[in-house]
Amino acid sequence: MTKRIILLAVMLFALGAFAPALAQGETLNVAWPYQVPPTGHFNTFASGGIALGQYQDIHEPPLAVLLWATGEYEGMVAEEFGWDADGNYVIKMVEGNSWSDGSAMTADDLMATFNIFRLRGDTVWANMSGIEKVDDSTVKFVMDAPSSLVERIILTTNLRPASVFGDIADRAAMMDAGGDGWDDLLQELTAFRPESPVSGGPYTILPDTINEANLMMELNPGGFAGDIQNFDMVRMWNGETEVVTPLVSNEELHYITHGIPPTTEEAFANQGIDIVRSGMNNGPGVYVNHAVYPLNLVEVRQAIAYAIDRVQNGVVSLGESGVAVEYMTGMSDGLSDAWLSDDTIDALNTYEHDLMKAEELLQSIGFSRNDAGTWMDDNGDPLAFELTFPQEFADWSAAAENATAQLNDFGFDITTRGVQFQQHPQDIYSSNFEMAIRNWGLGDPIPGRHYLQAYNRYNGQGDLAGEGGGGGMNFDNNVDYSGGMVNVFDLSNASSQGVDQAVQAELVTQLAVSYNELLPAIPLWERYTNNSLNRRFISVPDDSEPIFANFGGGADNWMTYLILTGVTAPAGRRPGRAGGTGHAIGSLLQRTAAGDPALGTLHQQFAESQIHQRTR
Amino acid sequence: MACWIRAFVFQASDDMDIQTAPNPLIAILSIPWAILRGAFRFVGRLRANTSGMIGFIGLVAYFIFTFILPRFIEFDNEPNLDEIVGPIGSRIQLAVHQDNAQLVTFEDLAGKTVGVVDQTGGPDLIAPYADTLTIEKYRWTSRRAGPGLEASLIDLANKEIDALLVFSKTVTELIHNQENPELRALFDDNIVISNPALGPPHLLGTDTQGRDIATHVVHGGRVLILTALIGGVISTVIALFLGSIAALTGGVLDSALTALTNLILAIPRFPLLVVMAGLIRFDNTLYLGVLIGLLGWPPLMRAIRSQVLSLRERDFVEVARSLGLSTNHIMFREILPNMISYVMINFIFSITFAMYEQIGLVVLGLAPINDYTWGVMLYFGRSRGTLYNPDGASMALSPVLAIAFFQVCLVLFARALEEIFDPRLRAAV
Amino acid sequence: MESRSLNARPVTPGYNKIIDAIRKALKNYTVRVFVQAILTIWAVATLTFLLVREMPGNPIDVLIEQILTQEGISYQEAYDRVAASFNFDPNASVLDLYLDWLTDLLRFDLGTSITSPGTEVIDEIARFLPWTVFAVGMGLLISFVLGIILGMTMAYYRNSFLDHSLSLLSSFMTGVPNYIWGLLIIIVLGIQLNLFNVGELRGTYDISLVPGLNAAFVLSVFKHAALPIATYVIATLGGWMLNMKSSTMGVLNEDYVNVAEARGLKDNRIITSYVGRNAALPLFTQLTIAVGFVLGSGVVIEEIFVYWGIGHYLFQAITVRDYTSMQGVFLILTMAVVFSNLFADLTYGLLDPRVRVSGER
Repeated sequence: MTKRIILLAVMLFALGAFAPALAQGETLNVAWPYQVPPTGHFNTFASGGIALGQYQDIHEPPLAVLLWATGEYEGMVAEEFGWDADGNYVIKMVEGNSWSDGSAMTADDLMATFNIFRLRGDTVWANMSGIEKVDDSTVKFVMDAPSSLVERIILTTNLRPASVFGDIADRAAMMDAGGDGWDDLLQELTAFRPESPVSGGPYTILPDTINEANLMMELNPGGFAGDIQNFDMVRMWNGETEVVTPLVSNEELHYITHGIPPTTEEAFANQGIDIVRSGMNNGPGVYVNHAVYPLNLVEVRQAIAYAIDRVQNGVVSLGESGVAVEYMTGMSDGLSDAWLSDDTIDALNTYEHDLMKAEELLQSIGFSRNDAGTWMDDNGDPLAFELTFPQEFADWSAAAENATAQLNDFGFDITTRGVQFQQHPQDIYSSNFEMAIRNWGLGDPIPGRHYLQAYNRYNGQGDLAGEGGGGGMNFDNNVDYSGGMVNVFDLSNASSQGVDQAVQAELVTQLAVSYNELLPAIPLWERYTNNSLNRRFISVPDDSEPIFANFGGGADNWMTYLILTGVTAPAGRRPGRAGGTGHAIGSLLQRTAAGDPALGTLHQQFAESQIHQRTR
Repeated sequence: MACWIRAFVFQASDDMDIQTAPNPLIAILSIPWAILRGAFRFVGRLRANTSGMIGFIGLVAYFIFTFILPRFIEFDNEPNLDEIVGPIGSRIQLAVHQDNAQLVTFEDLAGKTVGVVDQTGGPDLIAPYADTLTIEKYRWTSRRAGPGLEASLIDLANKEIDALLVFSKTVTELIHNQENPELRALFDDNIVISNPALGPPHLLGTDTQGRDIATHVVHGGRVLILTALIGGVISTVIALFLGSIAALTGGVLDSALTALTNLILAIPRFPLLVVMAGLIRFDNTLYLGVLIGLLGWPPLMRAIRSQVLSLRERDFVEVARSLGLSTNHIMFREILPNMISYVMINFIFSITFAMYEQIGLVVLGLAPINDYTWGVMLYFGRSRGTLYNPDGASMALSPVLAIAFFQVCLVLFARALEEIFDPRLRAAV
Repeated sequence: MESRSLNARPVTPGYNKIIDAIRKALKNYTVRVFVQAILTIWAVATLTFLLVREMPGNPIDVLIEQILTQEGISYQEAYDRVAASFNFDPNASVLDLYLDWLTDLLRFDLGTSITSPGTEVIDEIARFLPWTVFAVGMGLLISFVLGIILGMTMAYYRNSFLDHSLSLLSSFMTGVPNYIWGLLIIIVLGIQLNLFNVGELRGTYDISLVPGLNAAFVLSVFKHAALPIATYVIATLGGWMLNMKSSTMGVLNEDYVNVAEARGLKDNRIITSYVGRNAALPLFTQLTIAVGFVLGSGVVIEEIFVYWGIGHYLFQAITVRDYTSMQGVFLILTMAVVFSNLFADLTYGLLDPRVRVSGER
């Protein structure tokens, strides 16, 4: 009798284990944290909406995607795009797509989207004086000053439906910014809660399926790229890293972009799950308060750079995804390669781990070691500082711990303190720190914006939020370096203006070289993604393809690109269904397959530089 | 804790009859003597109580482990890049070309060329023998320039070097489970492990920086236990004091104290601590213990108050009261001994509470992580995802087990105390 | 004396009556503790109101940080965009806000969420609270009953092998924090032994079912709550066992038990109505108090198992610094603590006759 019950229980468990596997046939299992309605809602212009990160692209399609390997944009909803003779930007949209509520996808949607950006006060409008609908599929953006920055912002925009937001957008278009009723309209937008999600992409959210565990998206055949999809459904699992990790181990979830700790990553790899890495263009660095003597001395900062083994620091913090910064220019090595001339790069100081050099630098400014081996400055005070870091960030806390250990081995006397992660930036803004781990750079391909982190965000902008005026890291943005006197903040802004790449590159070079010489902060390593991809369930091309140079999170994500171009497929299916109409397979892949000679070398270069050894 | 020491000294002094001691010197000397005698008696009674004895021995072992052992064992703070999350018992092994299988110890290696990879445990291990053999250093490089470990293994297989110091996990992963078929063949045909136990084993494996976890466990207890003891003692003393005052005096004072307790109980802890973290820095064990003690007393105070309320209505207290004995006498001689078991159990819970409270404070940045306590280990072990990797789970689970077994010893010991000091239980034993 | 006071403060007889009534009422123990409880709640709520605003960062800062880490715009631009689309003024007078909030509170209105405009805090609490009450309540009930039974067993078979092993087990269980138990359940039972399907058990019930009193729905509710409940039971069982054992041993040596035994009453009768009842008395008080606390203790468990209750709601509110939501949840938690304490105070006398006598004196 008991045996029978046990047998029955086992069978029930077995059934439970198999049931979802049967139902999953054509479902793509991915993950992104979201809030369940009513906290989570379908107004993607307001905070707290169910926006789904990079997967918003498959719900509200982007105008174009930047191919990082070539630096070119590939049109998505935008069929043709570019600057006209008058310096205005013109976009012609693909015709024949429709939204999931049945309305046609036209220029009105684009107009609505940008009119709401204006209402919201988005940056893009700082460079624009207006938008004009040319015909049903064409829109002209009237520019004050054309720039590659504004082009990027326009092209990475997710298109929203006019059938939902048109009313508010039209009213905003009629008003003067800040005029009568402007604030009320803004409040109305913030409080606006569309009844149901409307998708223009290949998949649409099924509102009835939204619960805290996951939500389902069904195929939207009329939407953009809806006719070339290989999956019938997308299941979006909800949650942060610790929550989605068991699902990946269990093979219920097949692709995540969450940053996973290296230890977990190793367990996944042992299980045969592929780890795909691509640069994030940012990472932690050691920031110093320039009002604290002697951290304001460039020799001390350089000595710190020499004394920390960045390879070790990166590996212990984030494993293979913690890649030591090589050029130390304040932006990622990939961007340095792309923007700086070979001569410039050769002339850069790479601050390779060298304790002797660090020793010489400190001695050169009159510092000496005491009997215990601790460094004393020229006033006889020990080089004792407190290094703070956001305690909840597992990789940064490891970086802080390791950097401290290395510096103390060298003779500094540093104590470490973790700070609650929301308190930590506030401490920096209000100059309430000596040394701190914060980010250099950010996930964006435009260099000028990287430098804003150091020269604006962490330098003197803390008073804006009313948190008590502070000078941040107290760095003087008027710097004197081998190239002369420049204001690095102005340079940062200027370098993303205009559309002439040569001019931009010149400014970027000044920024990079001055950063390299003066080290306002000391970059440690660049964070690479470690997306886990289970190829037993999802078929995408081998990760030596150039598309994998694209960002692994946020805009230009390679996975959403591969979905939008109809390449991602259930495992066992040949990727890229033949005969797909509409947009067909991604141009980059087609060109690779056709053996485009221009791509040949690129492909090879990329494959060499790619960091994707799956397991050691 | 204070209460049982007190009760304990009282009992011992009864036997000695201090009051009649002829001269003050003897009277003074008699106190340590009384304590010593009491201790002997106590251990004698303890011997009759198996589980109490186990707990007692366990606590002594913990004391040695956390307070004395750290003097002899060094805290491993050296990151070893190839030893990251090594499993329990992993160690450095000696890999040789199969033609050189006779090379087993460092002595055998004299005159040979031996490879080590920098940034790993190898260089330290081989340093003492540096003048007898030739060392070939390989650079542990980032992925960008190709793995240095693989280069060293290829050199070994090609007999460029005679032997290689290599970590056991690397052996499993790079030699046995090599995915590249060419390398697999090369390694399988040429490399053997001649000494699987060249280096000392990592008893509890290695952490996410390749450091030995066992040394961290040895060093991680002192501050945590001290802080927890301080916190536990303070909250128990406050609770005992306020609880018995409230119950014995009654009236306005009782109402006021109860109201205060309820107020403190109900203040939401999280925002309070976050705000405090912005204002105060607790970089001192004592302060941290005091903070925890000050936060932890209200639940116990309520419990003690109701215990005293109940006890004071019992017959034996009534009798004492009708005999005109003082409140002090009633409290310490009649009521307290009857509550000891209860207070002890709660004292122990308050110690565990204080331990985990510290871990909570680590999360908020209130407790310093420079003291690498079991709490900090657990916090980092969890946040760095070690629980999901069987090789690495030791980083999070070792401190948990250390804390849990400490708790076990405390409970067993407390139960013994309970049986020894509770007059009613003693009668029954 | 009497006439002077009448002259000095001419009050209407009605007013006097009310004052008398209040005085009389305050002499009543029950009324007094009730008033005290309300005052405590008010004091804690006020303190909470100030505390949440003193926490680092406000709702605007949190959003700015999010934007700054995602987009490369200047701090000023991020600030302008966020401040414009947000129903929150960081420079508003705290006193005004407090008075507004207090007046709303008197009408049982907890306000609307700051970060999600239009969402009533009270609705959200009503949505999340029942799940926590269910899971935590079930967990507490099971572990309490089990703890009573096992604790008594340990006391009866004192110093036996059973007693020793249960002692070890129970003290070990309390020594491991509940979130570690939760993670171990998922990792060992769910992933390695594959006893259940991790993803399928997430959420509070199967979304395809219609909530109501039908078998499928109730079953689904229990199924989804099973893991959190199991975790709560494992993490708290040891405490009840040890306490019950300690309490039972005390009672076993009381005179009335010996008398009962001498009277030749059956063992079962003695165990249930004499020993069990008296030994469990102090534990009931602890149980009542525990009920107040556990509501707020499951934050991590609710996140790990994706079983969203009030703990998750609080966690979210704290993360985005949604002051009104935080105040609402903390108010509920405070009320739970205060009222469960109150309940414990009031019932203690009823349960333990010896105290009742003193209370009346």
